[in-house]
Amino acid sequence: MWCIKTSEKEKLLTALKGAYDFRDVSSSDLPPKKLFFPEREITFTHLVKDGSVTTPPPPRKFVLYGLSLRDLEAITCLDEIMSAPEKDYYYFRRRRRALLIGVTGEAFDVPPGGDIIISSIDADTSKLLSVTEKGERAIKKHLPRLKKSKSPQAVPVKNDTMPDLRNLLMDAELLKVAVEWSWHGYKKLWEKLSRECLGCGICTYVCPLCHCFAAEDSVALSGDEAVRCRRWDACTLPVFARLGGGEDMHPGLRERYYNWFYHKFVRGYLEFGRSECVACGRCQRDCPARIDIEAVLLDIVSAYSKSAQRRRRYR
Amino acid sequence: MKNIYEPVTAEIVKVERQSKDVLLFRLRSKGGVPFGTPKRGMHFTPGQFMLAGVWGYGEAPFGIASDPYETEYIELVVRRVGDVTGAMHLLEKGDTMTLRGPYGNGYPLEFFKGSDVILITGGSGIPPIASLIRYIIHNRKDFGMVHLVYGAKTSAGLLMKREISKWKRKIDVTLTVDGPECDWKGKCGFVSDCLTDIKVNPANTVVAMCGPGPMVDSIEQLVNPMGISDRKIFISMERRMQCGVGRCQHCVTGRKYVCTDGPVFNLDEIDRNWD
Amino acid sequence: MTKRLTIAIYDFTDCEGCEVVLSTLKENLLALEDRFDIVNWRLAQDACKDGPYDVTIIEGTPVTGDEIALLKELREKSGAIVALGACASIAGIPGIMDKGEREKWYKKIYGPEYKPIGVDSLPLAAYVRVEHMIHGCPVNAGELVRTIEELASGKKPKYRDYSVCFDCKEAGNTCRLLNDKICFGPITQGGCKAVCISGGSPCYGCFGLREDANIDGLVRILRWASSPKEIRGHLKIFFNHIPEYKDAFESALKRGRTKRP
Ligand SMILES: Cc1cc2nc3c(=O)[nH]c(=O)nc-3n(C[C@H](O)[C@H](O)[C@H](O)COP(=O)(O)OP(=O)(O)OC[C@H]3O[C@@H](n4cnc5c(N)ncnc54)[C@H](O)[C@@H]3O)c2cc1C
Ligand code: SF4
Ligand code: SF4
Ligand code: SF4
Ligand code: SF4
Ligand code: SF4
Ligand code: FES
Repeated sequence: MWCIKTSEKEKLLTALKGAYDFRDVSSSDLPPKKLFFPEREITFTHLVKDGSVTTPPPPRKFVLYGLSLRDLEAITCLDEIMSAPEKDYYYFRRRRRALLIGVTGEAFDVPPGGDIIISSIDADTSKLLSVTEKGERAIKKHLPRLKKSKSPQAVPVKNDTMPDLRNLLMDAELLKVAVEWSWHGYKKLWEKLSRECLGCGICTYVCPLCHCFAAEDSVALSGDEAVRCRRWDACTLPVFARLGGGEDMHPGLRERYYNWFYHKFVRGYLEFGRSECVACGRCQRDCPARIDIEAVLLDIVSAYSKSAQRRRRYR
Repeated sequence: MKNIYEPVTAEIVKVERQSKDVLLFRLRSKGGVPFGTPKRGMHFTPGQFMLAGVWGYGEAPFGIASDPYETEYIELVVRRVGDVTGAMHLLEKGDTMTLRGPYGNGYPLEFFKGSDVILITGGSGIPPIASLIRYIIHNRKDFGMVHLVYGAKTSAGLLMKREISKWKRKIDVTLTVDGPECDWKGKCGFVSDCLTDIKVNPANTVVAMCGPGPMVDSIEQLVNPMGISDRKIFISMERRMQCGVGRCQHCVTGRKYVCTDGPVFNLDEIDRNWD
Repeated sequence: MTKRLTIAIYDFTDCEGCEVVLSTLKENLLALEDRFDIVNWRLAQDACKDGPYDVTIIEGTPVTGDEIALLKELREKSGAIVALGACASIAGIPGIMDKGEREKWYKKIYGPEYKPIGVDSLPLAAYVRVEHMIHGCPVNAGELVRTIEELASGKKPKYRDYSVCFDCKEAGNTCRLLNDKICFGPITQGGCKAVCISGGSPCYGCFGLREDANIDGLVRILRWASSPKEIRGHLKIFFNHIPEYKDAFESALKRGRTKRP
């Protein structure tokens, strides 16, 4: 850990900007996942004349600057999702080339992820923390004469985004049981939400953890070349769960929107032992129908707790 | 790092028409079965599927129909319904397809051993069942009575007829078509009607199914009267698939992924699923 | 695997926007002679003596009786008809394209005494069966190429299952609806790259309704900040001749205003 002045911080950033592609995401609407898992990407190109199959070259090394603590946590969680059961080639070839720099005013005990975290202490001083060896190496290389310091006193700033959801996430088991219960136990809610939700997919695009995708194949007009592409999908869209024969396993917005919760809070929990949500607040901020998932989850949990059925636990 | 989405190229060594809209493809790559180190002589477990594809058209899942012990090739039976299957239907002997897999769990063969087995399927649900039958015939003495009940709307919709007539020497077979037809010597009526004729010992019987949607929906009415426990009834499920490796989220059913946890589930695992 | 495709291209009454996109495509296609056979570029009344065509792309919409007769003739000679540009296409969803529905439209819009001369413009699907529609005003070049690619490779052209919001988020726009401005993006098929919103105007829905569009839900949101009159005005741009859409909006408007959360 180091204690640095603003001038040293600037020096570090300037050095990094020279050495890497530098992406400042601190004011981006879309979550940082898009740098590892872009909205669309070509996965394969097939040439008809020689039958060759190629993958586009990976990007240059880059710095991802300006990540909040929750975004760092989300990337840690997405790394895990993208590793199970086998590593996702396209995600990790970008991910491996990225140096993650968190920037925060919040206090924290355990760094939630990233390679380097810069926390501001006062107007002119910041704490520079290397989280990984990669981060440590980058700092040493670009600010070689810096001396390590004992923990400087940070001003503990609280993050007030979705505080209630943050609390709920502590008990992911309860969220799982309540959301699973709500499909039958709180039908009224899903009916109401299915009328309000536009199925526009925005909550998915802005969520740092949503990661479902669709593949798209095309043959170029010339007929010489075929391209396979993957793009973000969203379970609130039609066709997502439709079979070849036309039968739709999620025929309406009720099923589609419920699946969004079910994946994050039930299936995701069963797979990874945590909800697939970090309470970053983006879906709440960006939903045009003003659906507030924090309020929805509070409602579900309270209805569940009141419900007489609470003893009818699922396995 | 391995690219888990990169398929191998397989050559089509035989195309056989099964019905108006169904073709059987025999595929091989690098001179043999295009994947896997065989376990106990098997290159895959019956019930597993491949993601087969055509560049420019996409990939789609297909149950493997051939004998798991076959070392030279695999066979897929493909009904034409959309982009990928449409493109496949234009392919000929000597053309290539792409393959990934085998994926999924397959039928629990060890659990089946020592039991009577009832196999129920309809229409183009036959491929994984065909592979299972080939396995059973290969290990015939490990199984008790084995009975295939296979139905289709019309006799023209019954696939793999030549193979079935060969199997008849080793297992019981009931073929049925929905309505009466001239020249049809098999049964008439739905698969469920034929089941009542089969004598079963519920305590020692397992059921393996692979069916079109409506048949799966009526599965409970179908097999409940036989008194076989839900845990002994295995069904191969169909869902939309893109990745085959448990990531894209298209194939989910309740808590499970059809591509990695399935496609074969026992009834007890899935009957509380909300979707 | 792919055969040479005979494509006929006609334009009825239209404007310059689509012209430009189309002539670029024409150059691209003519360069690929071994794949495409392009016939009858400009509208010529007697030109459709030839044929049949695998695909006929029709831009604009017929406005005289003769043009309507020509359109019907083209229908006979074409494997597939593709309507190009919002004028031709905005009929939107394929579900309203069967003949019975078409006749209902005539009656509804013009009364039972309908005479097809000097008619007001209607989408092509009001006169003949249309296999696919390429939307946009002007037509979107990327979607046009995609559709031809799909047809040329023997696929059934597909509509986008996502909404304009995908394009809009990709473009990095701030959402209009969150700022109390009208936008039809959530109920409109994507693929247009959200050009209007990026340029500061609302989405009027020129790409047509997407599947399972939640019109009630959108109107509920629009009503928090806009009057029924403003919403109706917005509708006029592209949805004027499609009673199904207008009805859906009208019935949503009847529900009245809900409280903003
Ligand atoms: C485990 C498993 C095993 C299987 N085994 C077999 C087998 O052995 N043999 C076999 O024949 N089949 C099998 N299937 C089914 C097979 O995978 C499907 O038939 C196949 O995926 C269809 O692919 P397609 O690209 O040809 O059709 P698609 O083009 O994907 O889809 C056809 C239909 O999907 C809908 N659709 C798709 N995209 C859109 C869109 N953008 N907008 C609107 N509608 C759309 C339409 O209703 C269309 O009619 C199996 C499936 C699974 C899950
Ligand atoms: S952003 Fe809101 S309206 Fe859009 S799909 Fe999500 S919940 Fe529904
Ligand atoms: S708050 Fe919303 S956008 Fe953020 S991680 Fe949770 S679900 Fe995703
Ligand atoms: S919640 Fe829905 S949109 Fe998000 S990753 Fe899961 S399936 Fe995709
Ligand atoms: S501005 Fe319109 S298109 Fe863009 S995100 Fe908002 S609702 Fe969707
Ligand atoms: S934003 Fe709307 S009006 Fe503009 S091109 Fe796209 S669909 Fe058409
Ligand atoms: S097919 Fe992608 S998760 Fe199963």
